[in-house]
Amino acid sequence: MNYYLRRFLRVIVTIWAVATFTFALIRLLPGGPLVQLRAQLIRSGASPERVETLIQSYTKIQPDAPIYVQYFDYITSLVQGDLGESISTGRSVGEVVGGALPWTLWIAIATTILVFALAIVWGAIMAYFEGSNFDLASSSASILAASMPFYVLAMLLIIIVGYEFGWFPTRFRIDPNLEAPVFSVAFVGSALYHSVLPIASMVLTGAGLQVLAMRGNSISVLGKDFVTVARLRGLSDRRISITYVARNAILPMYTSMLLSVGWYLGGTVIVEEIFTYRGIGYYMYEGLESRDYPLMMGIFLILTSTLVIGVFVADLTYGLVDPRIQTGDQSESF
Amino acid sequence: MAIEEVDAGSELDERSIVDPAIEIRNAKVTYDEGESYVLDDVSIDLDRNEVLGVVGESGSGKSMFASSLLDSVPDPGVLTGRITYHPRDGEPIEVLDLSKEELRELRWEEISMVFQGAMSSFNPVLKVRTHFEETLEAHDANVAEGMDFARELLSDLYLDPDRVLDAYPHELSGGMTQRALIALSMVLNPEVLVMDEPTAALDLLMQRSILQLLEDLQAKYDISLVFITHDLPLIAALADRMAIMYAFRFVEVAPTQDLVANAAHPYTRMLLNSTPNLDAPLAEMKPIEGQSPAPINLPSGCAFHPRCPLAEEQCMQSEPDYHDVSDRQGARCFRWEAAQAQILLNYEDMLEDRGTSGGDADE
Ligand SMILES: Nc1ncnc2c1ncn2[C@@H]1O[C@H](COP(=O)(O)OP(=O)(O)OP(=O)(O)O)[C@@H](O)[C@H]1O
Ligand code: SF4
Ligand SMILES: [Mg+2]
Repeated sequence: MNYYLRRFLRVIVTIWAVATFTFALIRLLPGGPLVQLRAQLIRSGASPERVETLIQSYTKIQPDAPIYVQYFDYITSLVQGDLGESISTGRSVGEVVGGALPWTLWIAIATTILVFALAIVWGAIMAYFEGSNFDLASSSASILAASMPFYVLAMLLIIIVGYEFGWFPTRFRIDPNLEAPVFSVAFVGSALYHSVLPIASMVLTGAGLQVLAMRGNSISVLGKDFVTVARLRGLSDRRISITYVARNAILPMYTSMLLSVGWYLGGTVIVEEIFTYRGIGYYMYEGLESRDYPLMMGIFLILTSTLVIGVFVADLTYGLVDPRIQTGDQSESF
Repeated sequence: MAIEEVDAGSELDERSIVDPAIEIRNAKVTYDEGESYVLDDVSIDLDRNEVLGVVGESGSGKSMFASSLLDSVPDPGVLTGRITYHPRDGEPIEVLDLSKEELRELRWEEISMVFQGAMSSFNPVLKVRTHFEETLEAHDANVAEGMDFARELLSDLYLDPDRVLDAYPHELSGGMTQRALIALSMVLNPEVLVMDEPTAALDLLMQRSILQLLEDLQAKYDISLVFITHDLPLIAALADRMAIMYAFRFVEVAPTQDLVANAAHPYTRMLLNSTPNLDAPLAEMKPIEGQSPAPINLPSGCAFHPRCPLAEEQCMQSEPDYHDVSDRQGARCFRWEAAQAQILLNYEDMLEDRGTSGGDADE
C-alpha cells in the first residue's frame, strides 16, 4: 500500500481510538462522568425526563439505547464536528473550542519556534566557543532553566515583571475592552502584548534542554571529517557553519521540535489557568473544576488529535530535511 | 639490463635535485609544547610527477605527515620546520609562512588531499554535485568548465558522472564514494595530491582497481602523488619511491625496487617478511613482535631497539643518523649492513631465481 496513504490511515485510526476511549470513559466507567452528570442534573432540580434529554444533548449519548447504537451516534456526531454541549458555559463544545483554539495554538507554536530558535543559535555559539567562560556560564544557566518547572517561573514573572515593574499584563488573552475580534493593529498588538508572559514562562524553561542538545550536536558535528575536509576545500566560514555544522546538528532535533508543539499544547492547561488566558487549556481546567465532562473530553480529543497530526507531519517531512531518510516503505522516523 | 637500471636511476636522481615539487625540512609536530613529537624532524623531498609511498604501522605518524604538507595539522598541534612548495613555474612558496587566505588558495588548487576515511568526507545532506560546485566557487573557478572537468575525472574513474553527481553520499557504495572523493580532490587540477589510506576500507579487488586508476590519472594529469598506507605490498606496485615510517620518523627511504630487493633497515626487512602478499608462501610470514611506541616515553636511542633482533649497546645509547646505502637509499640504522646480511627476506630465493636486478643495480 502507498506509504502516505498508510500513514494517513494510521492517523485516522489513532484519532478514532482516542474517541472510542473517550466514549468508554464517559459511558462505561462505574461512578464515572455519566453518573456524576446525572447526579449533578438531579441536584439542580430537573425532572427525570428532562435529565435524560439533557444528558443526551450534552454527551450525544442516549442512555437507554443499546450500546452499539450509542457508540454509532457518538462517532457520527464527532465526524460531523459535533462535540456535544458544554455544561458550565451553556454553549456547544465546538463553539467553545473554536473560539479558544487559535489562542492556544498561537501560544504553543510561538513557544516552540522561540525555544528552537533560541536553542539553535545559542547552542551553536556555545559549541563554537566550547570550554570558554561564556560556554560554562550558559551551560549552568541552561541546566538551571531546565530544572525549573514552567509554572514556578510563571509565578515569578507575574510577581516581578507583572506586579513589581508592571511591564506586561498578567491576565487575559487581550485587553477586555477590545474583546470583539476585529483584526486591527490594536487588536493584534494587544494580543501579542498579553501573550508575552505566558510564552516567556514556557520558552525560558523549555529552551534549557534544547540549548544543551544543540550544543552537544554541534560539538559532535564540528569533529566530523566532512567539516575538516570542507575547511581544506577552502569553503567560507559562513557556509561551513550554516550548511555543514548547523544543518547537521539540527537534524536530530527536528522530530522533537514537531512533537514539542504537542507538549507545549499540554503545558497550556496550567499556564493558561495561571494567566487566566482563555485558550483551550484554560477551558480544560475550568471543565475539570466544574466537572464539565463533555467540555473536558472534547478538549482532550482536540489536544490528542493535534499531537497525532504533529507526528504525522514530522513523519512526512523528515525525508525532506534529511536525504538519508527515505520517506518510503522500509524506513520510518518513529 | 643493469645499465638501463642505472640510467633510470640517475635520471630519477637528477629530477629530485633539479625539480622537487615539495621539500620538507625538519618538520616536527607537537601537542605538548615539545615534550613529545608526533612527527619528529622529518626531511624528505617529493619529486615532481613521482609517486611516493609512505608506509607505517597505525599511529606511526603517517596522517601527521600528510596534514603537514597542507599545514593542516589538527588543533592544537604545532607544526614547525620548513615546507617549500615549488610550483611548475614561478617562485618557491614557503607553506608555513603563508597568510590564512594564501593558504586557503594553496590548498586544493596546488596541494590537495584525500582524507583518511572517505565515507565521512562528504556532507550527508548535500548532493555530490554540490560538493564539486561549492569547491569551484570557493576558489573563484569557472563552475561550468570545472563541472565538465569533474565529469571527465569521474569518467576516468569509471563512474557514470551524472548518476554520481546527482546522488547523495549515502547512495554510493564504498568504492564509488572513494572514487568520487578522488575526483573531488582533483577538480582544481592540483600539482600535488596527498592520499591518506584511500583504500583502507575497501575490499582487495576494489583496492587493486583503484590503484590501477590512480596510476592512469597520475600519468594523464601529471600530478605528484603521496600515497599513504599501512599495506606495503599494495603500494609497492604503484610507488616510484617508498618511505618507511616508524615512531614518527622515516627510518628508510629508497626507490621501490631497491627497497623490495635490498631493504637496509631491520624494520623494513621485517615488514617485508611480515606480509603474505609478495609471492611468499604464507608459512614464512613472520609478524613483527611487540608494539609500536607511543609519542610519550619513546625508547632511548634507536626507537626500534626493543623490537630489533640486531640491537646492541649503542642502539640504546644514541640515535642512528641516516646511513647512505646508496646515493638513492638511506636507512636510520647503525647496523644496516648486518641487517642485509642477517635478516633474510623470505622471498630472497625467488628474487635470485628470477634474476631480479633491483639489488644488483646498486653494485
Ligand atoms: N589530535 C591529536 N592530539 C594529540 N595527539 C594526536 C592527535 N592526533 C593524533 N595524535 C597522535 O599522533 C600520533 C600519530 O598519529 P597519526 O594519525 O599520524 O597516525 P597514523 O600513522 O596516521 O595512524 P593510522 O594508520 O591509524 O591512521 C599518534 O600516536 C596519535 O596518538
Ligand atoms: S639502530 Fe640498532 S636497534 Fe635500531 S634498527 Fe639498527 S640495529 Fe636495530
Ligand atoms: Mg592516519
